[in-house]
Amino acid sequence: MGESTLQSSSVLTPSWLSSVHRLLLMAALIILLGYLCVYVAYASNLIQFPFDYDQGEGFELVDTLLFSQGRWPYLDTEIYPFYSSNYPPLFHVMAAPFVWIFGPSYAYGRLLGFAGTLVTGGAIGCAVYRDGQHRLIALLSALAFLASNSIYHIGPLFRQHMTMVMFETLAVVVLAHANEIEDTGQRRRRLILGLALILAAGYTKQLAYATAIAALAFLFVRSPRRSVIYGAGFALAGAAIFLWINRSTDGQWWLQTISANVNTFYPDQTIGLFRLWFSLHGFLIVPAVLYVLYEFYFDRISIYALWWIAATTNAILSGKWGAGDSYFATTIAATCVLAGLFAARTLTGGWHFAANYLSRLLIDPLRRFSAPLARTGLILIPLLFIGYGRAVLHLPTDGPLFAPVAALLHITPNAHGTFYDSAREMDGSFSGGYADIGHLTTQADVEAGDRIVELIREADGPVLSEEAGFNLLAGKDVVTNPTQLLNLANNGLFEGAALLNMIETRAFELIVLRAQFYPVPILQAIGRRYRQSEAIEMNGFRYLILRPIDETMSLSR
Amino acid sequence: MEGRHVPYRPRWRMVYSAPMFSKSLTKRQLGLLLLAGGVLGFVAIVAIDVLDVGREGGIGPAQRIALGLMIGVALAGLTLIPLKGAPA
Repeated sequence: MGESTLQSSSVLTPSWLSSVHRLLLMAALIILLGYLCVYVAYASNLIQFPFDYDQGEGFELVDTLLFSQGRWPYLDTEIYPFYSSNYPPLFHVMAAPFVWIFGPSYAYGRLLGFAGTLVTGGAIGCAVYRDGQHRLIALLSALAFLASNSIYHIGPLFRQHMTMVMFETLAVVVLAHANEIEDTGQRRRRLILGLALILAAGYTKQLAYATAIAALAFLFVRSPRRSVIYGAGFALAGAAIFLWINRSTDGQWWLQTISANVNTFYPDQTIGLFRLWFSLHGFLIVPAVLYVLYEFYFDRISIYALWWIAATTNAILSGKWGAGDSYFATTIAATCVLAGLFAARTLTGGWHFAANYLSRLLIDPLRRFSAPLARTGLILIPLLFIGYGRAVLHLPTDGPLFAPVAALLHITPNAHGTFYDSAREMDGSFSGGYADIGHLTTQADVEAGDRIVELIREADGPVLSEEAGFNLLAGKDVVTNPTQLLNLANNGLFEGAALLNMIETRAFELIVLRAQFYPVPILQAIGRRYRQSEAIEMNGFRYLILRPIDETMSLSR
Repeated sequence: MEGRHVPYRPRWRMVYSAPMFSKSLTKRQLGLLLLAGGVLGFVAIVAIDVLDVGREGGIGPAQRIALGLMIGVALAGLTLIPLKGAPA
């Protein structure tokens, strides 16, 4: 006896049970479609907002502008304007043509990020449908990805992370059945396309290395010879691009994207974010884990299982300084695929258990319950998606559309006064590393941003702003990338003598601070030579406007 | 052709495409690989502290997590070995 099924699709199902099953599936669909509406409203709001929303978005825009001018953003931070990027180039290169048409704007970068999440959702749906043959479950799996709190609040940002996840997901879906293609030419093209997509993911953000490991491990398990050949080609192509960029930037590429990215690891942040990840996505994580175990012990191991393991392990890095819940985006995508396959297999009666010591121990005693288990599955599977929908609850709480829904659900805001997010406590607190965003921007925020831009425009000399967008809109030089200076300083790679000298001599007529992510000596110099003149609230964050301290006052201190 | 000596030349392509490397791994092979990887990884992580005498504070939190992962990998490998020739 090779293998046997635990349940069968031929199990007689009472008509009432089929009706309840369909009803529950529809309820799950409505809930997840509701989240899609919330997501579209949020994305639409953000795309129209002309200023920084998430800390550091403006520097992604600066990178894009530099690429649109044919310049690298990997620069020497000891020389004015003390700017450098720490991210690979592909996302900014993709956005660069929009600069030629629309000039500097956050809109197209946010639109790219948002579109990337939709493509990822589509790829998840395709993967689940191809292997699970259940349309509605495929749709629910795709929507589940977009309903995640983390995907929601990171998706429509001018950031490269979700574009990386898009390339990773497409790569995995392309490679999943490549080995089984009989036609050599077609198989070769598929493998090259899959690996090229992983390369694209890696040159969008470094974190994609985990997906590369998973994909090469999968190819190795299925065909060691093929994995060595294609892996060597992949490594050569990746290394050639790396060396070309490093040579073109006089080594700044290595310094800024590799050396400076070694940051302090805070285990408590990782533990907090893993707890949060499970509390939000547990309804999908449990079936995903069961599916991984099933493949390991009773079936062939798919690329999705290896991808999930690699991505989840990689999420440990979310405890690094500067990292956060975005590091879970890849594992959320993989979880949605695996949970979808688990659900589809349960509903189509597709479980097959190879005869081995584990099936004798765990499965055989359950065989006589196969019919009731199959019927239970009809209720349980939709409930998993409904439970997930409840766990990830997030919703703006004001406005003509959302206020009545919030009132109906008895939701009160726990973020920025206008947003409810189940990832937070009722007092608004949240796990370290979880992005403090998700709320909609308002006209008052636009006016506050305009006010900051006006102040910068009025300044005669250079302005040091912690958000690049204000300077760009005011027609001023963007001076420094604070988080990158901090990354470099933490690794002993930034001296900052020229920047410190400018601060000490009060060369900046205005300084705009938000998170105060500059290296400590820079902040200390600012504290000595500048004084806060006002604070402007925008998006729920306080922007401090500092002006030079009068010289005589400074000496008297 | 009679009497003409044709020296034996191993064809690189035959060696390179040896069937054992073209086939999928079995669960047993994968289990052995994971077991070996887990044990070697564990030893390597411990060796960081043994060899790097300049470090202080012993095994740090990141190393502890990595050691836990290596133990998990080795145990997963052990449980796969009894599955014998099933394709991985």
